[in-house]
Amino acid sequence: MFDSLMYFLTVWTQPELLFLVGLGTLAGIYVGAIPGLSVTMAVSILISFTFSWDVYPAISLMIGTYMGGVYGGSRTAILLNIPGAPSAIATAMDGYPMAQKGEAGVAIGVTTVMSFVGGLIGILVLAVAAPLVSDFALGFQPRDYMLLAVLGILLVGSLSGGSLLKGIFAGAFGIAIGAVGMDPLTFTERFTFDTQLMRGGVSFIAVMIGMFGVSEALHQLHHIDTPAVKQKIGRIVPSWGVVRKYLPLSMQTSTIGVVIGALPGTGGDIAALMAYDHAKRVTKNPEVPFGEGAMEGLVAPETANNAAVGGAFIPMMTLGIPGDAVTAIMIGALFIHGLNPGPMLMIDKPDMFWFIVGALSLANCFMLIFGLTGIRVFTKIVEMPRAVLIPLILLLSIVGAYAVNNSITDIYWMLGFGVFGYFMKHYDYPLGPVILGVILSRLLDDNWRRAIISERESLPRFFEGIITSPLSLTLFVAVILIFVSQTPLWGSVKSRLARKAA
Amino acid sequence: MSRNLISAIVALGLTATVAVAQDYPTKEIQGIIQWGAGGSTDTVMRAVTPGAEGVLGGSVVMQNMTGGVGAIALNYVADADADGYTVLMGAENPLLYKVMGLGDKDYSDFTPINLLARGTPILVAGPDAPFGTYPEMLAYIQEHPGEVKFGSTGPGGLPSVVTAMISSTTELDVIFVPYDGDGPALTALQGGAIDVMPAVLGASVEGIRAGTMKPLVVFDIEASAALPDVPTITSTNPEFEAFLPWGPFFGVFVKNGTPDDAVAKLSAAYAEAAQGQDFIDLMAGRGFTMMNISGDEAQAFLTKWQQNTAWLMDDAGLTKVSPADFGIARP
Repeated sequence: MFDSLMYFLTVWTQPELLFLVGLGTLAGIYVGAIPGLSVTMAVSILISFTFSWDVYPAISLMIGTYMGGVYGGSRTAILLNIPGAPSAIATAMDGYPMAQKGEAGVAIGVTTVMSFVGGLIGILVLAVAAPLVSDFALGFQPRDYMLLAVLGILLVGSLSGGSLLKGIFAGAFGIAIGAVGMDPLTFTERFTFDTQLMRGGVSFIAVMIGMFGVSEALHQLHHIDTPAVKQKIGRIVPSWGVVRKYLPLSMQTSTIGVVIGALPGTGGDIAALMAYDHAKRVTKNPEVPFGEGAMEGLVAPETANNAAVGGAFIPMMTLGIPGDAVTAIMIGALFIHGLNPGPMLMIDKPDMFWFIVGALSLANCFMLIFGLTGIRVFTKIVEMPRAVLIPLILLLSIVGAYAVNNSITDIYWMLGFGVFGYFMKHYDYPLGPVILGVILSRLLDDNWRRAIISERESLPRFFEGIITSPLSLTLFVAVILIFVSQTPLWGSVKSRLARKAA
Repeated sequence: MSRNLISAIVALGLTATVAVAQDYPTKEIQGIIQWGAGGSTDTVMRAVTPGAEGVLGGSVVMQNMTGGVGAIALNYVADADADGYTVLMGAENPLLYKVMGLGDKDYSDFTPINLLARGTPILVAGPDAPFGTYPEMLAYIQEHPGEVKFGSTGPGGLPSVVTAMISSTTELDVIFVPYDGDGPALTALQGGAIDVMPAVLGASVEGIRAGTMKPLVVFDIEASAALPDVPTITSTNPEFEAFLPWGPFFGVFVKNGTPDDAVAKLSAAYAEAAQGQDFIDLMAGRGFTMMNISGDEAQAFLTKWQQNTAWLMDDAGLTKVSPADFGIARP
């Protein structure tokens, strides 16, 4: 116990490591804030950069970058309606309306504090219950992943805003985009029209940047002459009362974040969207409606995606299995530094586990500090004249789209989806479901096929499998309930029940 | 003024050309990694390259270019100038592109700089599997046809080659559940979603050590140094000797036509880097067998590998085009 504490404190007490975590966090916030510059990319560059270093400093820098990057994505989502990372898509939905009302400072303040809370809960679960959670996560069978994806698809209802029909169209469009390219399971080409260009599929990041960045820039051209919203410079750090008010919700959404983060194959993006949906479901009377700047709509995704960081480390530390793309790279880094990540790591090298927990919590604190300072400067971005802002957004979008795969083609995809997204926006088609569809397309498709192949392509056996497994059954019932609760049938049943009771 | 500028630029260009011929490298070398960040190719390349940079006295900027089973990266390097400043860091997959219908280029368009190491295939099962050895597994499959679930990673991947070897010697009535790579498949194995996975030894060695998966047999002629107690396939089934040793490998390549000076310098640099103790330890820890070969030796290895594997896949009915159409001779 005492040893664990010593390892935990290593990073807090050695000035060099402290500095590196801080540096990483600061850099991560900016990497995360720029759409297209992803944390995954930054961490993989750091592997070569820190190759000759000792393992502690190298990991310190990477963990700082990871934590900062996950949080940084919210910045541009709130200020410009352009999520810096996929996990900040849900943040834009209520964050940007707040910025338009001149409350960008408040929005960033709350986001920062709640990200800290979410991060803390994620780390806590990692420290206390890692083996438990990883056993649970390992138990997910292909059919469970498939049901989870179906559950995700049902979020279309939450993300559509106005017309559900348009939302469903957008979601289906996203799923189709996700299916383009060489199918990785069978190497069969799908929707490629026999062109080399389409074989690699459509880069999801290019779609996201186009749909959110370019289409937003084009949309802003309509208001080129309207003066920018003056931002209120009042209290930025939220009061304890505000934090306490959202604490129960953030506990729930953090739990969603940790579990989704711990599942190998799902990460912060899905966690944030599910948390947003959850908040919308449980918040009975929001002060401001969702989609127009509801605080709950900020709290939920931001707690969830930061909690997912701790979650992603759970299978990595206990089993050597990555919880997401960044932890996959970190496993590579541990190998390079002579460690063998796997089920034996916790037994052979308990110091590494507690060191990582310590570094994560330190990074979380730095995130809070860096996040709360300099907000006023950041909010000035929104007050910039549009003639400066729009070209800037376009430039960032192009750089971002190129940087993902160093491919010019991705820029064309991005611009194409940007123009398309502009027209969708113009005709009131929601863009969120498109991205949701792209994210979930592979999860749904691959796992459905795995599940049905495993059951020798027999549907009765497939349903038998669902009914006999408690986990699958729970997910299945959740899917049914959520689906039914979104149909008009539910409303009539509920009102009839209410009448009977009265 | 402008004339001065032009002559200056021309002069600069001239000196640069001369410099290329004499002291390569004069600028950054671009290293294109065929697979994603965090994968085994990525780890190997990022571990060996800093050592090579030291010998070269220049820097190699590595970037991951994924997609098309590595074909995107291969085509990118094939389309770049053959000046030694764009280097392909890849794995074995391109040797099967032609027969799998994935592209019209393979390593015959490239000059090997160094083939660093090769992996050894191993058959692992879940800890609760009702069999513990290869013969027991075959007997169990015989009694329970169509019940045992094998993980696979799509045609051309290691599992497909290993199962092609098995099914060329015996009937194999099992379910193949496809995964994106051996990482996700081994995760599924530990969670009980599949029963058996043909994997590269390095990916499973930690799980075996911890008892979360059970080794059945190593697909090699000699036992592995990392897992000396696991029997080799040839100890029970000598008919496999014809295919072995076989394994995925990692190599650094440049486009054909690259100046000899650049090829020689790069080869020397990677040969020395591959002898670094850190790198050797890393490869041993991950269960890879060091090769560190270049020149004609590397070329001969590539030719033999391609002949063996392409025809094995063809005999198993997994190819789209016969190897004979590309002049790949039957071994």
